[in-house]
Amino acid sequence: MTDRTLRRPVLEFEGVGKRFGSIPALDGVDLAIREGELVALIGPSGSGKSTLLRCANRLAVPDVGTVRFEGREVPGGGAELAGVRRRMGMVFQAFNLYPHLSALENAALAPRRAAGWSAERARLAAREALERVGLADRLDARPDQLSGGQQQRVAIARALALAPRILLLDEPTSALDPELVGSVLGVIRSLADDGVAMLIATHEIGFAREAADRIVFLDAGSVVESGPPGRILERPETERLRTFLKRL
Amino acid sequence: MEIFFDREALALAWPAVRSGIAVTLQLALASIAAGVALGFALAVVRALGGRWGRVASPAIVAYADAFRAIPPLVLLVVIYFAAPFAGFELSGFLASFAALVLVLGASAEEIFWAGITAVERGQWEAALSTGLSRRTTLFRVVLPQAVLLTVPPLTNRAIATGKNTALASVVAVPEVLNQATSIQAQTASPAPLLLAAGVYVALFLPLVRIGRWLETRTPTGAGGRSTALSRTH
Repeated sequence: MTDRTLRRPVLEFEGVGKRFGSIPALDGVDLAIREGELVALIGPSGSGKSTLLRCANRLAVPDVGTVRFEGREVPGGGAELAGVRRRMGMVFQAFNLYPHLSALENAALAPRRAAGWSAERARLAAREALERVGLADRLDARPDQLSGGQQQRVAIARALALAPRILLLDEPTSALDPELVGSVLGVIRSLADDGVAMLIATHEIGFAREAADRIVFLDAGSVVESGPPGRILERPETERLRTFLKRL
Repeated sequence: MEIFFDREALALAWPAVRSGIAVTLQLALASIAAGVALGFALAVVRALGGRWGRVASPAIVAYADAFRAIPPLVLLVVIYFAAPFAGFELSGFLASFAALVLVLGASAEEIFWAGITAVERGQWEAALSTGLSRRTTLFRVVLPQAVLLTVPPLTNRAIATGKNTALASVVAVPEVLNQATSIQAQTASPAPLLLAAGVYVALFLPLVRIGRWLETRTPTGAGGRSTALSRTH
């Protein structure tokens, strides 16, 4: 724990705010994720977890505040933004795999067409990423031939193929049948052991308790509490967090 | 009965109608290819957005609406008879080609656009999140899924375009109907017209059948529709 807090931040949010119409989705969020750190975002539906993740790579554009990646502000668009996105992997609740491509092609597309690697190098990187998520034997399967858990692991491999500095995971197990959740969480845990920095929005409190370095409780677009899992889950300081934990 | 199958008139009409088939097919194939290409190009410009797309989009929408509203025959006579006033002359064939391409291009643009917007937003987001450009995302991720959805409606528009080649007879293009009506005028027999009708059915029935077959097939792998349902709780 202590050594990780001394590491450099990979991703920083500073006073980030965003509204959808009159509804504030994020309201002045400050948060930093350091190298090798796994930060779990918890909070009720609509608390802004997704929006915060999407502000990191500008799938959502913050109204106010600054997002910094490796110490520099995330660019507004163009090739500079694409360059930053290549080094930030994202995993979606609904997987969003390309249905017309095989598992290998899903993971090889960005190395080939975004990073401009040779076809051979891109396939190699994709294969290694798929091996890392335990799908070395399903390289040629189309998404519709895979279970939900396997599909999400392909999506994780797709996000890993460019060796990103941080993974953003938006409720990666929420769309899965209960018996498939374990395999995906297992993959995420092994990535954490390898020192991949991760910001993960999740409803899996058990997983957050055991795997996260830090838990951040978000409510109504603001960080209400943040700290080590033991303290956040066992000794919540605010009424809002106590109420949230009681409802689980 | 005899008057409809007047042998003499049919014998006279067949060589003329047969030569018209080549003209009809040329006009149909050229118009379909160019119209689909035009519609595709416009939908791509619209979908890419960016500086160009934002300027062009309202114009593309206005074009698509106007040319889906105008009757093809009206467009054809306007092009054919107005061109000389604009300082150039178009052959009947070129005027017909232009009218058919403009009409099909408008429908095809809307069909491709509908296909593109039918692909889930998550596909764009996933691709963009890996650092792919909008252009690469459109061509590598979105269009391969969208095009599958566009095949049945495009087939129907292609059939309509093929049939609309008969309009070219009003500007003296020697296609099937034009040939038949001139023999009909000479012989005062309806038989050549029946022959022409039969020829059209023979030419386009296969396409109609293909269109029916395409419509009964559900596109798999397009937009992940079947899996999208099983995925959400």
